[in-house]
Amino acid sequence: MIGRWAASSRPTNSVPMMQSARLSVDIGGTFTDLVLLRNDGLTFSAKVSSTPAAPEDAVISGMAEVLAAADIPAAALTEILHGTTVGSNTLLQKLGARTGLITTKGFRDVLEIGRLRTPGMFDLTWDKPEPLVARRYRLEVAERTLADGTIQTPVVAEDVLRAGAFFRDEGIQSVAICFLNSYKNPENERSAAQIFSQAFAEIAVTASVDVLPEAGEYERTSTVAVNAYVLPPLKGYLERLEHKLRSAGVTAPLLIGNSNGGLSASTTAQSKPVFFISSGRSSGAVGAARLGAALGEPNLVAFDMGGTTASAALIHRGVLSRTHEYEFRAGMSVPSRFIKAGGYMMRVPTVDVAEVGNGAGSIAAIDAAGLLTVGPISAGADPGPVCYGLGGARPTVTDANVVLGYLPPRLAGGTLRLDVEAARMAIDKTLGSPLGLSAAAAACGIREIANANMVRAIRAVTVERGLDPRDLTLLAFGGSGPVHACDLARTLGITRVVFPPSPGVFTAMGMLAGSIEHHELRSAQARLDLLGFEVVERLRREMRAAATMALTRQGYAAETVGFSEAIDLRLEGQDASLSIPFSGAFDAASLRPAFIAAYRDTYGYTPNDAVEAVALRLHAHARISEPLDFTALKAAPNDVGAREERRMVHFTRAAAIETTIVPRASVVSALSGPVIIEGADTTIVIPPGMRVEPNATGSLIATLEAA
Amino acid sequence: MTAIDPITFAVIKSGLDTIVDDMAYAVMRTARSPIVRDVLDYSVTLCDAKGRILSQAKTVALHLGAVPDAIDVIVERFRDDMFRGDVIVLNDPYDGGMHLPDIFMFKPIFSSKRLLGFSVVIAHHCDVGGRVPGSNASDSTEIFQEGLRIAPMKLYERGLPNRTLFKIIEKNVRLPAMVLGDLDAQYATCNIGEREMLRLFERYGEELEAYFDRLIDYGEELTRKAIAGWPDGEYAFTDYIDGDGFSPAPIPIVCRITVKGDHLWVDFAGSSPQVKGAINATLSFVKSSTYLTIRCALDHDVPNNAGVYRCITVTAPEGSILNPNMPAPVAARALTGYRVVDTVMGALAQIAPKRLMAAGEGGNTVVAIGGYHGPECKPFILVDMINGAWGGRSDKDGIEGITNPSQNMSNLPIETIEARYPVMMEEYALREDSGGAGQFRGGLGLVRQYRLQADTAVLQLRADRHEHSPYGLFGGQAAASSRNLLKQDGEWRVLPAKVTLEIGKDTVIRHEQAGGGGWGDPASRGRDSIATDLANGKISPARAMADYGFEAEPKADGDDTST
Repeated sequence: MIGRWAASSRPTNSVPMMQSARLSVDIGGTFTDLVLLRNDGLTFSAKVSSTPAAPEDAVISGMAEVLAAADIPAAALTEILHGTTVGSNTLLQKLGARTGLITTKGFRDVLEIGRLRTPGMFDLTWDKPEPLVARRYRLEVAERTLADGTIQTPVVAEDVLRAGAFFRDEGIQSVAICFLNSYKNPENERSAAQIFSQAFAEIAVTASVDVLPEAGEYERTSTVAVNAYVLPPLKGYLERLEHKLRSAGVTAPLLIGNSNGGLSASTTAQSKPVFFISSGRSSGAVGAARLGAALGEPNLVAFDMGGTTASAALIHRGVLSRTHEYEFRAGMSVPSRFIKAGGYMMRVPTVDVAEVGNGAGSIAAIDAAGLLTVGPISAGADPGPVCYGLGGARPTVTDANVVLGYLPPRLAGGTLRLDVEAARMAIDKTLGSPLGLSAAAAACGIREIANANMVRAIRAVTVERGLDPRDLTLLAFGGSGPVHACDLARTLGITRVVFPPSPGVFTAMGMLAGSIEHHELRSAQARLDLLGFEVVERLRREMRAAATMALTRQGYAAETVGFSEAIDLRLEGQDASLSIPFSGAFDAASLRPAFIAAYRDTYGYTPNDAVEAVALRLHAHARISEPLDFTALKAAPNDVGAREERRMVHFTRAAAIETTIVPRASVVSALSGPVIIEGADTTIVIPPGMRVEPNATGSLIATLEAA
Repeated sequence: MTAIDPITFAVIKSGLDTIVDDMAYAVMRTARSPIVRDVLDYSVTLCDAKGRILSQAKTVALHLGAVPDAIDVIVERFRDDMFRGDVIVLNDPYDGGMHLPDIFMFKPIFSSKRLLGFSVVIAHHCDVGGRVPGSNASDSTEIFQEGLRIAPMKLYERGLPNRTLFKIIEKNVRLPAMVLGDLDAQYATCNIGEREMLRLFERYGEELEAYFDRLIDYGEELTRKAIAGWPDGEYAFTDYIDGDGFSPAPIPIVCRITVKGDHLWVDFAGSSPQVKGAINATLSFVKSSTYLTIRCALDHDVPNNAGVYRCITVTAPEGSILNPNMPAPVAARALTGYRVVDTVMGALAQIAPKRLMAAGEGGNTVVAIGGYHGPECKPFILVDMINGAWGGRSDKDGIEGITNPSQNMSNLPIETIEARYPVMMEEYALREDSGGAGQFRGGLGLVRQYRLQADTAVLQLRADRHEHSPYGLFGGQAAASSRNLLKQDGEWRVLPAKVTLEIGKDTVIRHEQAGGGGWGDPASRGRDSIATDLANGKISPARAMADYGFEAEPKADGDDTST
């Protein structure tokens, strides 16, 4: 399906002579979404079926479709922006390289011992995940760096070569190196990596300091092990993709969405893949932040609901919430962020996305004690919800939504009718009768519990940060986000909900609003008031030079490079720090109050203690052409076969009420709920008591009407 | 009586779980001492107005069973004298506490004048004074040697700090900045619990309390259902502690579980009388240890709340090691809690084998190294806790590199130790051959080796399982026992399990932890599993032969290539 949005008042049929465009591609489990931004401001989108065995194939076929629609040649593309799940799938399905690890003598088991905790309690049947590198492939070498950075024992080359020979004979493809205290002085690690790669050029090598120059031997070892494990598959995929793009006539640079929601050079993704595990999902959150800026909404919860999971990210005072640490685990259900176990730890900057195993396809059931539960098991696309009539027998969230009248009795596009009666019977039989509820009441229950689960994801990124959801606006996207958003908002006390122009391809669209970026980090441990001005300024200059070099090497002009900087601070004696942005000449005296204020906001009291610095961070960005501007987006009519109608909808368990159903394109002025708005790629539910109106950016904004 | 709506019920239940998660996270982010912020030796919970546990975070389970007894003391003492903004602390084992380093903090939560419940945060402080740095010695002989005793009293009164009490604490501990910093973290966390509980009350009003009752009933119903499914009868088990640090005589812990209908009685008659060393455990702590072990035998979805405790009656003779009289010392009582867990586990494994395991490592080993360092003679106290291994299970091996199930603790990063203490780490590794053989072998214990960099320090070690190694079940073998070793002037010597001594610069201390016991007949172990363990160096060729009759293939050349 192809959608288009005009971003200017210029006539859409007048094609300028020199056409160029940026293309973004987001690969999901079911669909590959593409959005093209032509230099005259027009956007074109396409949704094609994903091809998991060779994901690049869907990219190439989708690109052909969207280029044809936009009527421009592949050579006219100036940037390809890409969000990929190859990294997360490699970890999830354990398809990574045969990986080896080299450590300081005495510490090869740090990776396997980990941090000891279990994600649940009282469960002695739990399985700790197998380490990514088996013990026999974790080898020790003689070397030692002390806590202050002093080299006590230089690395012993013979040990490194012996390890390499063993790895080569065992068919190891990728090797990670992590030495104790290397964050203080990388000399031994770097020289080991150099000795290794000179002797064994065919084996990939990653030194821990090159991905994470921070204290914490387990976190650093685990991070570099993930990098080594994911490197060959992700590198291979990107090489194939680039090759096919070049064959198709594309000359533009390929940029990959990183876990932090930014765009990096493909070469960076190939050498540091651990930074790209949450590619795509994080880009959606970044797009949400940009849309929020365009709307003048600095405080947003970005809520994305798909088929099996729902996720939430926070934008507070215009800043997207990020975390420096992330655990990847099988099974998406993350009921608690307070876990240090059970997953593959990566200490890399990541958009702070909380995810719950609750999507449109999640199955509803009754547990041993008679409690109604929803998810994390999903009916997926096969067999799918009962109402699809593809063999699914267990009721899902979608079945509940169909029975309650929220969703139209036909699939998007209007070609396939949904079996409302089958969904009703399944809900009645498996849930309604045993609980003594009507089918409609049970369906309401499914929906309410699904909502409660999803509320946990939102709370994880709000309440946990000491933020009151009531001060925030909810931005809903993904195929099913707009179906549930208003109910979630009301549960949380949120009074404003935003629906972007095309929620279904919002993630790909969000990437177009971004530009390439590059990050640098330097350790700077000292009491804040004792941290030398000269030391800080030297590290800042060093970071700027490194970032500028990395970006110009990609073909970006040095004069388009911009920077933002932050310093990680904490109270003396703490482990966790807060990142405090700053600019201009370094001034420790002004940073202390900024930190204390941020601390009070987060933890609810004002400390009097000494503040210590941990690290300096630099974020650099550059651009090749104008990014997509959400303030200039304008929705054009594209609703397939939708027409105004009325149907009975259960907004409460009490009774159904007659509700107006309108096509999205026809919403040109404010409407009062209840009303259901059907678009090409999703349905927006506005319950009674809320009011919705279109905005200049093409978004719809729902608000709670004053009681 | 409010009608219970099943949906609202589910929403409130997950709402409470979210609040305690928030609280646990806040402690970790704000605490100062490595024992709290890295090792995570703390726990948080929310109670209702009657002091019943509603929900607990995934933190130290051993603490929480003791909360009901502590709250009873508070409610009795402060019944008409609790106001909004009050914060009550205690640590006296003979007045609601467990051992002195664990400071309980309670914040009563009021909506106008109505008491809704309590925020509770228990943290293990790095020092509370007494004769040994860390206040954790096993060789004290009376409570008065163990540090500052705090009877239940207000640390904040209507929002204002009690400066007298703060000053007393400050002057009686070795590291006041750390202790006061961790008290701040507890306080911040209590406030978060209060704020969130009030939000729930705002949303659901007076109905909330009916849902609290229902939540506790729900925990009770699920527990009773499980117990009713177990065969009626008596199930006994005995395990041992090596000695109390003064006498090498084994200390028996005897447990007899009676299942009758849907109730459990757990009686510890026959256990040792209270001992001279500091491993006596208060009855509240014994209850806590017992509850959590029984909780492991229940389904995952049973909420851990006061309803579970209603189905269990725990008794121990007065004057015994499990119910001592003043002034018996208790500082190292955690060890006794672990052994209670092991003993109850052994009895329960006869009832619900699929959910339990053979004995794990026997609880963490505490290595405390303290003294004064550098030209300014700055005090330092490293309190390190070594965990752990699980025993074999009915269908799989025990896990290695894992918390004791009673705690959910973490470990101190090597790089944190080396950056903050005058100690260099020389090894942190899995201990080959330490898991008990079995169809499903026990997990391997850990090795941790330290080298002192300061001129002198006091070393205090609390280990066990030297003499009585972790048991196997159903034909599985016992694990390797633990060892404490010390190297001075190039000579290794074996230390007792529990010891306090002065050490000098470059002394090397090594602990080799016991592994987990095996489950089932070793003869039934899969050949592939044995081969994998051999390849990974988790068992030696000699043990593969001795335990399993498995002949190891000669090592591949690649392994031994010398350059």
